[in-house]
Amino acid sequence: MSILIGLLNGMITGATPILLAALGGTMTYYAGIFNIAMEGMMLVSAFFAVIGSYYYQSWIVGIVFAILGALVMALIFILFSVKLKTDEFITGIALNLFALGATTYMLRQIFGVKGAFADPSIVSIPNISIPVVRDIPVLGQIVSGHNLLVYVGLLATIASSFLVFKTRFGLRLRAAGYNADCLNTSGVQSDHIRTVLVLLCGVLCGLAGAFLSLGYVTLFSENMSAGKGWISLAAIILVNGNPWGIALISLIFGFSDGFGLLLQQYLPSQFTSMVPYIATLFALFIYSSRKRKEFLS
Amino acid sequence: MKNNLINGLLGIFIALMLGAIVMVVQGYAPFETYAALFNYSLGSFFTFTTMLQNSVPLILTGLSASLAFASGPVNLGQPGQFLMGALLATIGGLYLDLPPVLMIPALILLAMLGGALWSGLAGLMRLWFKMDEFITTLMLNMIADFFTYWAISYPFFDKTAYSPMTPAINVSGWLPEWGDFNSSVIVMVLAFIVVWFITSKTVAGYEWRISGQNSIFARLGGCQIEKNYMKVMLLTGALAGLAGGLVVMAGPHRFLKGLGANYAWDGIMIAMVANNGIVATLLYGLFFSVLQTGAIGMELITAVPREFIMVIQSVIVLVIVAGRGYFAILMNKLAVRRKAKEELK
Repeated sequence: MSILIGLLNGMITGATPILLAALGGTMTYYAGIFNIAMEGMMLVSAFFAVIGSYYYQSWIVGIVFAILGALVMALIFILFSVKLKTDEFITGIALNLFALGATTYMLRQIFGVKGAFADPSIVSIPNISIPVVRDIPVLGQIVSGHNLLVYVGLLATIASSFLVFKTRFGLRLRAAGYNADCLNTSGVQSDHIRTVLVLLCGVLCGLAGAFLSLGYVTLFSENMSAGKGWISLAAIILVNGNPWGIALISLIFGFSDGFGLLLQQYLPSQFTSMVPYIATLFALFIYSSRKRKEFLS
Repeated sequence: MKNNLINGLLGIFIALMLGAIVMVVQGYAPFETYAALFNYSLGSFFTFTTMLQNSVPLILTGLSASLAFASGPVNLGQPGQFLMGALLATIGGLYLDLPPVLMIPALILLAMLGGALWSGLAGLMRLWFKMDEFITTLMLNMIADFFTYWAISYPFFDKTAYSPMTPAINVSGWLPEWGDFNSSVIVMVLAFIVVWFITSKTVAGYEWRISGQNSIFARLGGCQIEKNYMKVMLLTGALAGLAGGLVVMAGPHRFLKGLGANYAWDGIMIAMVANNGIVATLLYGLFFSVLQTGAIGMELITAVPREFIMVIQSVIVLVIVAGRGYFAILMNKLAVRRKAKEELK
């Protein structure tokens, strides 16, 4: 029983950064922007979260810094891909590399260390224990007591699903992806919509990054996003951007993460660390074969 | 061609100026820093040969990415293919013991085989299951990373070492050095010539290029898209694997942890700034090697951490790529304006 609860809790924890980043990415996905900069945005915000938390002794400042860091990345993305019309793919890859270089550089410049920075004075984001619910046996142990950002992730799923499908802005953002010229001629500038969406993506990736360095663990290490941005991109593609689908896929990836940890009793850790990436390949395989069947019938 | 050259030089200049501004803000002396940077990569024969040796993996992974992007497949798997190539060459070097004349070609072939296996895997996933190579190669990168880490931690671990690494490969597999000049540069140049010849002088190269530009046109013209796709994947994987093998055979003579980390994404960056041109890839690869080699000297002389070069590199990529698009628009605008003026007269 306790193994099962542990596995479920691990699943929820592992799913959160992927969920938050993928929700950010899905905004831009609907608007027809091929945004692959989530990885870099997460990495930069994970770094700035540590800076904010370390220097101001407050996880709130950490989150604010994380969001600001991701917004700077979003602004660079907007400058190049929306304003200068640079290829989105190239902009994204260059930004990811920029994030890797800049955080490694700043890690050394500001904290004077290589590899990783951990310090007792970094304040992590607290866990929330929900009154009443926490006293229910089993369910309480699964639902209550998670990191604050886990619940933010759930709220963000509801909010983004509402935003995309139920509001006027959502209609416009889908129109920007569906037929940008049509939107432009009806008097709404698609570039404005896109700018807002990339910024929104920045906010969500900022939260994802803050969770990486202040929630999951309390430290920053080089390249700590470790492909999570790419996995969240795969999650978006697999469900065509639907927020609830993304939540489901993120949980599956979170499960594979926790499952990998469980396997560590039997296998070397290098193999168990591969599990999420193999799961991504497997999910892509199922998606592709389903799509092919649809195509044939 | 001329525009590309102007744009490239301008982009590098702007990126270096931006870097100088950042340095001034942090209280470093930009002129001395850049002087040290170029002095430690081009200043003497020794640093120049070091720079050439460092350029080998950059140019080979760059060629791999350029050739792939220009022919259609979005092969982002150079980091993984590099590692698998390096691993296979290392294993060969540990267990084979032939005279150097046979040993070196054998290890080179093994390296290429390792890279081609890893890219071929992604290619098969695409052909059989229609899985997008753009994500599969990325995931295979992470898997190769963990796999090689395991391989050097357990089965091929050097028991006398304190951190994960393999023992040194047999001496017959070491690439010969003349003075400071390492012969891996020669292998790289040969590979470059082969790639250049295939892409610009053969029918296959023409077909690949056309498939990259317009796959429907290529299909209608009678190209076998799927066969070409697989060939390109295998060849680009082999190039990245070759890079990994040469690094092992030329440098540390063993597989160390983090071997490919420095070159992992550089090849893709180089292909992007080079706009997938084969000759441009060679030139930018040399230039990136100048930056990376000089970075160590820069750190010694002016205490600017060498990681700064990683930032400069990505800024160069962004400025040049953005500039390329914008420069073309600007040139068109000027041409139109000139024409309009002439018409008015």
